Amino acid sequence: MTTDDTTQQLPPESPQPRRLLRARSGRVIGGVCAGLGRYFNVDPIIFRIGAIVLAFVGGAGLLAYLAALLLIPSDDSPAAAEPSRNRWLAIVGVVVLLCVTWPFLLGGGLVLAAILVPLALLVATGVLVWWFVSGEGPGADAGDIAKRAALGIGIICLCGLIAIGGAWAAAAGGETVVAIIVIAAGVAILVGAFVRPVRFLVLPAIALALSAGAVSAAGIDLDGGVGERDYRPASVSDMRDTYELGMGELIVDLRQTELPAGDVPVRIDLGIGEARLVVPEDVCVATDARVGIGEARTFERHSDGVDVDVDELRDAPPDTTRLLVEADVGIGSLRIGHGSTNLDLDHGQIDFGRPLQDDLGRNLACDA
Amino acid sequence: MVAGIAVLALGVLLLLDAVGTLDLRFKLLGPVGCAAMGAILLASGLTRRQ
Repeated sequence: MTTDDTTQQLPPESPQPRRLLRARSGRVIGGVCAGLGRYFNVDPIIFRIGAIVLAFVGGAGLLAYLAALLLIPSDDSPAAAEPSRNRWLAIVGVVVLLCVTWPFLLGGGLVLAAILVPLALLVATGVLVWWFVSGEGPGADAGDIAKRAALGIGIICLCGLIAIGGAWAAAAGGETVVAIIVIAAGVAILVGAFVRPVRFLVLPAIALALSAGAVSAAGIDLDGGVGERDYRPASVSDMRDTYELGMGELIVDLRQTELPAGDVPVRIDLGIGEARLVVPEDVCVATDARVGIGEARTFERHSDGVDVDVDELRDAPPDTTRLLVEADVGIGSLRIGHGSTNLDLDHGQIDFGRPLQDDLGRNLACDA
Repeated sequence: MVAGIAVLALGVLLLLDAVGTLDLRFKLLGPVGCAAMGAILLASGLTRRQ
Protein backbone atom coordinates (compact mmCIF):
# COMPACT_ATOMS: atom_id res chain seq x y z
CA MET A 1 0.00 0.00 0.00
CA THR A 2 1.52 3.24 -1.08
CA THR A 3 1.14 6.64 0.43
CA ASP A 4 -1.08 7.70 -2.46
CA ASP A 5 -3.46 4.81 -1.77
CA THR A 6 -3.80 5.81 1.87
CA THR A 7 -4.70 9.35 0.88
CA GLN A 8 -7.35 8.12 -1.53
CA GLN A 9 -9.00 5.91 1.12
CA LEU A 10 -9.57 8.78 3.58
CA PRO A 11 -13.08 10.29 3.48
CA PRO A 12 -13.29 13.76 1.98
CA GLU A 13 -12.84 16.44 4.62
CA SER A 14 -16.26 18.04 5.39
CA PRO A 15 -16.27 21.85 5.70
CA GLN A 16 -16.06 22.96 9.34
CA PRO A 17 -19.34 24.67 10.45
CA ARG A 18 -19.00 28.29 11.47
CA ARG A 19 -19.03 28.58 15.24
CA LEU A 20 -20.29 31.47 17.29
CA LEU A 21 -17.53 32.38 19.72
CA ARG A 22 -16.95 35.30 21.98
CA ALA A 23 -14.15 37.37 20.50
CA ARG A 24 -11.01 37.93 22.49
CA SER A 25 -9.92 40.80 20.32
CA GLY A 26 -12.09 43.92 20.23
CA ARG A 27 -14.08 42.96 23.30
CA VAL A 28 -15.57 45.60 25.60
CA ILE A 29 -16.89 43.36 28.38
CA GLY A 30 -17.14 39.70 27.55
CA GLY A 31 -16.72 39.79 23.79
CA VAL A 32 -20.34 38.73 23.12
CA CYS A 33 -21.19 41.62 20.79
CA ALA A 34 -17.81 41.46 19.11
CA GLY A 35 -18.34 37.74 18.53
CA LEU A 36 -21.83 38.29 17.15
CA GLY A 37 -20.49 40.99 14.84
CA ARG A 38 -17.80 38.66 13.58
CA TYR A 39 -20.25 35.80 13.14
CA PHE A 40 -22.78 37.85 11.18
CA ASN A 41 -20.11 39.99 9.54
CA VAL A 42 -21.61 43.28 10.71
CA ASP A 43 -20.36 46.08 12.88
CA PRO A 44 -20.57 44.92 16.55
CA ILE A 45 -21.69 48.41 17.62
CA ILE A 46 -25.17 47.49 16.32
CA PHE A 47 -25.38 44.62 18.82
CA ARG A 48 -23.98 46.82 21.58
CA ILE A 49 -26.63 49.49 21.02
CA GLY A 50 -29.34 46.82 20.90
CA ALA A 51 -28.11 45.26 24.15
CA ILE A 52 -28.02 48.64 25.91
CA VAL A 53 -31.52 49.55 24.70
CA LEU A 54 -32.88 46.18 25.81
CA ALA A 55 -31.09 46.50 29.14
CA PHE A 56 -33.13 49.62 29.84
CA VAL A 57 -36.37 47.91 28.78
CA GLY A 58 -36.94 45.62 31.72
CA GLY A 59 -33.41 44.28 31.73
CA ALA A 60 -33.90 41.93 28.77
CA GLY A 61 -30.60 43.01 27.22
CA LEU A 62 -28.75 42.30 30.43
CA LEU A 63 -30.25 38.84 30.68
CA ALA A 64 -29.51 38.06 27.05
CA TYR A 65 -25.92 39.22 27.52
CA LEU A 66 -25.46 37.10 30.61
CA ALA A 67 -26.96 34.09 28.85
CA ALA A 68 -24.64 34.59 25.91
CA LEU A 69 -21.71 34.97 28.28
CA LEU A 70 -22.55 31.60 29.79
CA LEU A 71 -23.44 29.72 26.62
CA ILE A 72 -20.99 31.06 24.07
CA PRO A 73 -17.39 30.00 24.63
CA SER A 74 -14.55 32.41 24.15
CA ASP A 75 -12.36 31.86 21.14
CA ASP A 76 -9.29 31.48 23.33
CA SER A 77 -10.80 29.03 25.82
CA PRO A 78 -10.50 25.24 25.75
CA ALA A 79 -14.29 25.09 25.48
CA ALA A 80 -13.95 26.51 22.00
CA ALA A 81 -12.27 23.28 21.06
CA GLU A 82 -14.65 21.17 23.14
CA PRO A 83 -18.12 22.57 22.60
CA SER A 84 -19.93 20.22 25.01
CA ARG A 85 -17.84 21.07 28.04
CA ASN A 86 -19.75 22.79 30.85
CA ARG A 87 -22.81 23.00 28.58
CA TRP A 88 -25.16 21.65 31.25
CA LEU A 89 -23.83 24.09 33.80
CA ALA A 90 -24.51 26.96 31.44
CA ILE A 91 -28.06 25.78 30.69
CA VAL A 92 -28.83 25.52 34.39
CA GLY A 93 -27.47 29.02 34.83
CA VAL A 94 -29.77 30.38 32.10
CA VAL A 95 -32.80 28.67 33.63
CA VAL A 96 -32.02 30.16 37.04
CA LEU A 97 -31.57 33.58 35.46
CA LEU A 98 -34.92 33.28 33.67
CA CYS A 99 -36.65 32.28 36.91
CA VAL A 100 -35.22 35.32 38.68
CA THR A 101 -35.74 37.89 35.96
CA TRP A 102 -39.03 36.93 34.27
CA PRO A 103 -41.05 39.62 36.08
CA PHE A 104 -38.63 42.23 34.78
CA LEU A 105 -38.83 40.78 31.29
CA LEU A 106 -42.62 40.82 31.40
CA GLY A 107 -42.56 44.43 32.59
CA GLY A 108 -40.10 45.28 29.88
CA GLY A 109 -42.34 43.75 27.25
CA LEU A 110 -45.29 45.74 28.48
CA VAL A 111 -43.22 48.91 28.50
CA LEU A 112 -42.01 48.13 25.00
CA ALA A 113 -45.59 47.51 23.81
CA ALA A 114 -46.82 50.64 25.54
CA ILE A 115 -44.25 52.63 23.59
CA LEU A 116 -44.27 50.87 20.24
CA VAL A 117 -48.03 50.35 19.74
CA PRO A 118 -48.99 54.04 20.13
CA LEU A 119 -45.95 54.97 18.05
CA ALA A 120 -47.06 52.65 15.26
CA LEU A 121 -50.60 54.02 15.43
CA LEU A 122 -49.26 57.57 15.30
CA VAL A 123 -47.12 56.79 12.25
CA ALA A 124 -50.03 55.06 10.50
CA THR A 125 -52.33 58.00 11.25
CA GLY A 126 -49.71 60.43 10.01
CA VAL A 127 -49.30 58.51 6.74
CA LEU A 128 -53.09 58.34 6.26
CA VAL A 129 -53.52 62.05 6.96
CA TRP A 130 -50.77 62.96 4.52
CA TRP A 131 -52.35 60.60 1.99
CA PHE A 132 -55.67 62.40 2.43
CA VAL A 133 -54.17 65.87 2.20
CA SER A 134 -51.65 65.38 -0.63
CA GLY A 135 -52.97 62.34 -2.44
CA GLU A 136 -49.55 60.64 -2.08
CA GLY A 137 -49.98 57.11 -0.80
CA PRO A 138 -47.45 55.32 1.41
CA GLY A 139 -44.30 54.38 -0.51
CA ALA A 140 -42.13 51.31 -0.09
CA ASP A 141 -39.09 53.23 1.07
CA ALA A 142 -38.78 53.48 4.87
CA GLY A 143 -37.42 57.01 4.65
CA ASP A 144 -40.31 58.03 2.46
CA ILE A 145 -42.81 56.56 4.92
CA ALA A 146 -41.12 58.35 7.82
CA LYS A 147 -41.17 61.63 5.94
CA ARG A 148 -44.87 61.34 5.07
CA ALA A 149 -45.73 60.23 8.60
CA ALA A 150 -43.89 63.26 10.00
CA LEU A 151 -45.73 65.59 7.62
CA GLY A 152 -49.07 63.97 8.51
CA ILE A 153 -48.35 64.23 12.24
CA GLY A 154 -47.45 67.88 11.71
CA ILE A 155 -50.83 68.45 10.08
CA ILE A 156 -52.57 66.67 12.97
CA CYS A 157 -50.75 68.93 15.46
CA LEU A 158 -51.68 72.00 13.42
CA CYS A 159 -55.33 70.90 13.31
CA GLY A 160 -55.21 70.30 17.07
CA LEU A 161 -53.97 73.82 17.66
CA ILE A 162 -56.63 75.22 15.35
CA ALA A 163 -59.30 73.18 17.15
CA ILE A 164 -58.16 74.49 20.55
CA GLY A 165 -58.13 78.04 19.24
CA GLY A 166 -61.57 77.63 17.69
CA ALA A 167 -63.02 76.12 20.85
CA TRP A 168 -61.54 78.87 22.98
CA ALA A 169 -62.82 81.58 20.63
CA ALA A 170 -66.31 80.08 20.60
CA ALA A 171 -66.34 79.75 24.39
CA ALA A 172 -65.21 83.35 24.76
CA GLY A 173 -68.13 84.60 22.68
CA GLY A 174 -66.56 84.63 19.23
CA GLU A 175 -68.74 81.96 17.67
CA THR A 176 -69.91 84.31 14.92
CA VAL A 177 -66.32 85.05 13.89
CA VAL A 178 -65.46 81.34 13.85
CA ALA A 179 -68.57 80.61 11.78
CA ILE A 180 -67.60 83.26 9.23
CA ILE A 181 -64.06 81.85 8.98
CA VAL A 182 -65.46 78.35 8.42
CA ILE A 183 -67.86 79.63 5.77
CA ALA A 184 -65.01 81.48 4.04
CA ALA A 185 -62.91 78.30 4.07
CA GLY A 186 -65.85 76.35 2.65
CA VAL A 187 -66.30 78.86 -0.17
CA ALA A 188 -62.55 78.77 -0.91
CA ILE A 189 -62.59 74.95 -1.11
CA LEU A 190 -65.71 75.04 -3.28
CA VAL A 191 -64.26 77.61 -5.70
CA GLY A 192 -60.89 75.83 -5.62
CA ALA A 193 -62.57 72.67 -6.92
CA PHE A 194 -63.15 74.48 -10.20
CA VAL A 195 -60.03 76.66 -10.30
CA ARG A 196 -57.21 75.16 -8.27
CA PRO A 197 -57.80 72.54 -5.53
CA VAL A 198 -56.96 73.65 -2.01
CA ARG A 199 -57.21 70.32 -0.24
CA PHE A 200 -54.94 71.46 2.59
CA LEU A 201 -57.77 73.70 3.83
CA VAL A 202 -60.24 70.86 4.38
CA LEU A 203 -58.90 69.31 7.59
CA PRO A 204 -58.17 72.60 9.41
CA ALA A 205 -61.62 73.90 8.47
CA ILE A 206 -63.29 70.72 9.72
CA ALA A 207 -61.26 70.85 12.95
CA LEU A 208 -62.25 74.46 13.50
CA ALA A 209 -65.92 73.86 12.74
CA LEU A 210 -66.29 70.73 14.87
CA SER A 211 -64.45 72.13 17.89
CA ALA A 212 -66.45 75.35 17.86
CA GLY A 213 -69.62 73.34 17.25
CA ALA A 214 -68.89 71.09 20.22
CA VAL A 215 -68.39 74.11 22.45
CA SER A 216 -71.65 75.62 21.25
CA ALA A 217 -73.53 72.35 21.61
CA ALA A 218 -72.27 71.97 25.18
CA GLY A 219 -73.23 75.56 25.90
CA ILE A 220 -69.79 76.42 27.27
CA ASP A 221 -69.42 80.08 28.06
CA LEU A 222 -66.20 81.19 29.71
CA ASP A 223 -67.60 84.56 30.83
CA GLY A 224 -67.32 84.93 34.57
CA GLY A 225 -63.72 83.90 35.04
CA VAL A 226 -61.98 80.85 36.42
CA GLY A 227 -61.74 79.55 39.98
CA GLU A 228 -64.01 78.90 42.93
CA ARG A 229 -67.03 81.00 43.81
CA ASP A 230 -69.00 80.59 47.01
CA TYR A 231 -72.08 82.75 47.41
CA ARG A 232 -74.14 82.88 50.63
CA PRO A 233 -76.54 85.80 50.29
CA ALA A 234 -78.28 86.97 53.45
CA SER A 235 -81.45 88.18 51.74
CA VAL A 236 -83.15 88.33 48.37
CA SER A 237 -81.75 91.80 47.75
CA ASP A 238 -78.23 90.36 48.06
CA MET A 239 -78.91 87.76 45.42
CA ARG A 240 -77.51 88.23 41.93
CA ASP A 241 -79.50 88.04 38.74
CA THR A 242 -77.10 85.42 37.43
CA TYR A 243 -74.46 83.41 39.23
CA GLU A 244 -71.88 83.02 36.53
CA LEU A 245 -68.53 81.23 36.28
CA GLY A 246 -66.47 80.23 33.27
CA MET A 247 -64.53 77.33 34.73
CA GLY A 248 -64.32 75.96 38.25
CA GLU A 249 -66.58 75.37 41.21
CA LEU A 250 -69.65 77.47 41.83
CA ILE A 251 -71.56 77.15 45.11
CA VAL A 252 -74.73 79.08 45.83
CA ASP A 253 -75.89 78.39 49.39
CA LEU A 254 -79.31 79.82 50.21
CA ARG A 255 -79.83 78.04 53.52
CA GLN A 256 -79.21 81.24 55.50
CA THR A 257 -81.05 83.48 53.04
CA GLU A 258 -84.31 85.13 54.07
CA LEU A 259 -86.61 84.16 51.25
CA PRO A 260 -90.13 85.62 50.91
CA ALA A 261 -93.17 83.59 49.94
CA GLY A 262 -93.77 83.40 46.24
CA ASP A 263 -91.49 82.99 43.27
CA VAL A 264 -87.79 83.81 43.53
CA PRO A 265 -85.74 83.39 40.34
CA VAL A 266 -82.20 82.02 40.46
CA ARG A 267 -80.06 81.73 37.39
CA ILE A 268 -76.81 79.71 37.28
CA ASP A 269 -74.48 79.78 34.30
CA LEU A 270 -71.33 77.62 34.41
CA GLY A 271 -69.01 76.81 31.52
CA ILE A 272 -66.96 73.89 32.82
CA GLY A 273 -66.95 72.50 36.36
CA GLU A 274 -69.36 71.85 39.16
CA ALA A 275 -72.31 73.97 40.20
CA ARG A 276 -74.07 73.39 43.53
CA LEU A 277 -77.23 75.05 44.70
CA VAL A 278 -78.12 74.44 48.34
CA VAL A 279 -81.63 75.41 49.35
CA PRO A 280 -83.54 75.39 52.67
CA GLU A 281 -85.80 72.45 53.32
CA ASP A 282 -88.97 74.60 53.44
CA VAL A 283 -88.45 75.89 49.89
CA CYS A 284 -89.98 74.39 46.77
CA VAL A 285 -87.66 74.21 43.78
CA ALA A 286 -88.77 74.34 40.15
CA THR A 287 -85.87 73.55 37.85
CA ASP A 288 -85.24 74.22 34.20
CA ALA A 289 -81.65 73.12 33.61
CA ARG A 290 -79.41 71.99 30.84
CA VAL A 291 -76.06 70.21 31.04
CA GLY A 292 -74.13 69.81 27.78
CA ILE A 293 -71.96 66.90 28.90
CA GLY A 294 -72.05 65.59 32.44
CA GLU A 295 -74.63 64.99 35.13
CA ALA A 296 -77.51 66.76 36.77
CA ARG A 297 -78.66 65.78 40.25
CA THR A 298 -81.73 67.52 41.52
CA PHE A 299 -82.83 66.03 44.84
CA GLU A 300 -83.62 62.39 44.19
CA ARG A 301 -83.44 62.69 40.42
CA HIS A 302 -80.23 61.90 38.57
CA SER A 303 -79.48 62.25 34.87
CA ASP A 304 -76.20 62.08 33.05
CA GLY A 305 -74.77 61.86 29.57
CA VAL A 306 -74.88 64.26 26.66
CA ASP A 307 -77.52 66.96 26.22
CA VAL A 308 -78.97 66.45 29.69
CA ASP A 309 -82.19 68.39 30.19
CA VAL A 310 -83.95 68.80 33.52
CA ASP A 311 -87.45 70.17 33.38
CA GLU A 312 -89.17 70.03 36.74
CA LEU A 313 -91.76 72.76 36.92
CA ARG A 314 -93.31 72.23 40.33
CA ASP A 315 -96.06 74.27 42.00
CA ALA A 316 -95.84 75.46 45.58
CA PRO A 317 -98.51 76.23 48.22
CA PRO A 318 -99.41 79.96 48.45
CA ASP A 319 -97.42 80.68 51.61
CA THR A 320 -94.29 78.86 50.42
CA THR A 321 -91.22 80.13 48.63
CA ARG A 322 -90.72 78.69 45.18
CA LEU A 323 -87.26 78.96 43.66
CA LEU A 324 -87.39 79.16 39.89
CA VAL A 325 -83.98 77.75 39.02
CA GLU A 326 -82.67 78.22 35.53
CA ALA A 327 -79.28 76.58 35.09
CA ASP A 328 -76.92 76.06 32.20
CA VAL A 329 -73.77 73.96 32.64
CA GLY A 330 -71.51 73.26 29.67
CA ILE A 331 -69.38 70.35 30.86
CA GLY A 332 -69.55 69.10 34.43
CA SER A 333 -72.21 68.59 37.03
CA LEU A 334 -75.13 70.42 38.50
CA ARG A 335 -76.38 69.56 41.98
CA ILE A 336 -79.45 71.01 43.58
CA GLY A 337 -80.57 69.92 47.02
CA HIS A 338 -80.99 70.63 50.68
CA GLY A 339 -77.50 69.54 51.59
CA SER A 340 -75.46 66.44 52.12
CA THR A 341 -71.99 65.41 53.15
CA ASN A 342 -70.69 66.60 49.82
CA LEU A 343 -72.55 69.88 49.94
CA ASP A 344 -71.79 70.71 53.56
CA LEU A 345 -68.15 71.38 53.04
CA ASP A 346 -68.22 74.54 55.08
CA HIS A 347 -64.81 76.18 54.93
CA GLY A 348 -63.19 72.81 54.45
CA GLN A 349 -64.95 71.25 57.43
CA ILE A 350 -66.87 68.09 56.60
CA ASP A 351 -70.08 67.51 58.54
CA PHE A 352 -69.35 64.05 59.84
CA GLY A 353 -72.76 63.92 61.52
CA ARG A 354 -74.39 63.31 58.19
CA PRO A 355 -74.32 59.97 56.44
CA LEU A 356 -71.46 59.40 54.03
CA GLN A 357 -73.57 59.47 50.91
CA ASP A 358 -74.53 62.03 48.36
CA ASP A 359 -78.05 62.57 49.67
CA LEU A 360 -79.54 65.79 48.34
CA GLY A 361 -82.81 65.36 50.20
CA ARG A 362 -86.29 65.54 48.72
CA ASN A 363 -88.24 68.40 47.21
CA LEU A 364 -91.07 68.07 49.75
CA ALA A 365 -92.11 71.72 50.05
CA CYS A 366 -93.81 71.63 46.64
CA ASP A 367 -97.41 70.54 46.07
CA ALA A 368 -97.84 66.83 45.75
CA MET B 1 -66.42 70.20 -4.22
CA VAL B 2 -68.06 67.86 -1.73
CA ALA B 3 -65.58 68.96 0.94
CA GLY B 4 -66.39 72.59 0.21
CA ILE B 5 -70.11 71.98 0.53
CA ALA B 6 -69.63 70.05 3.77
CA VAL B 7 -67.45 72.75 5.35
CA LEU B 8 -69.87 75.41 4.15
CA ALA B 9 -72.79 73.54 5.71
CA LEU B 10 -70.97 73.30 9.05
CA GLY B 11 -70.17 77.01 8.91
CA VAL B 12 -73.80 77.89 8.23
CA LEU B 13 -74.86 75.67 11.12
CA LEU B 14 -72.48 77.51 13.43
CA LEU B 15 -73.68 80.88 12.20
CA LEU B 16 -77.32 79.99 12.74
CA ASP B 17 -76.49 78.94 16.29
CA ALA B 18 -74.51 82.12 16.89
CA VAL B 19 -77.36 84.39 15.80
CA GLY B 20 -79.87 82.37 17.82
CA THR B 21 -81.91 80.94 14.94
CA LEU B 22 -80.89 77.41 15.87
CA ASP B 23 -80.12 75.78 19.20
CA LEU B 24 -77.16 73.57 18.36
CA ARG B 25 -77.04 70.43 20.49
CA PHE B 26 -74.92 67.31 20.33
CA LYS B 27 -77.83 65.28 18.96
CA LEU B 28 -77.73 67.54 15.91
CA LEU B 29 -74.01 68.21 15.70
CA GLY B 30 -73.10 64.51 15.98
CA PRO B 31 -74.97 63.29 12.89
CA VAL B 32 -74.16 66.42 10.88
CA GLY B 33 -70.45 66.21 11.73
CA CYS B 34 -70.31 62.50 10.93
CA ALA B 35 -72.20 63.03 7.69
CA ALA B 36 -69.80 65.81 6.67
CA MET B 37 -66.72 63.72 7.43
CA GLY B 38 -68.23 60.67 5.74
CA ALA B 39 -69.12 62.61 2.62
CA ILE B 40 -65.62 64.09 2.39
CA LEU B 41 -63.91 60.71 2.83
CA LEU B 42 -66.30 59.03 0.41
CA ALA B 43 -65.78 61.67 -2.25
CA SER B 44 -62.01 61.59 -1.70
CA GLY B 45 -61.91 57.80 -2.03
CA LEU B 46 -64.08 57.73 -5.14
CA THR B 47 -61.97 60.47 -6.76
CA ARG B 48 -58.78 58.47 -6.19
CA ARG B 49 -60.40 55.35 -7.58
CA GLN B 50 -61.27 57.16 -10.79
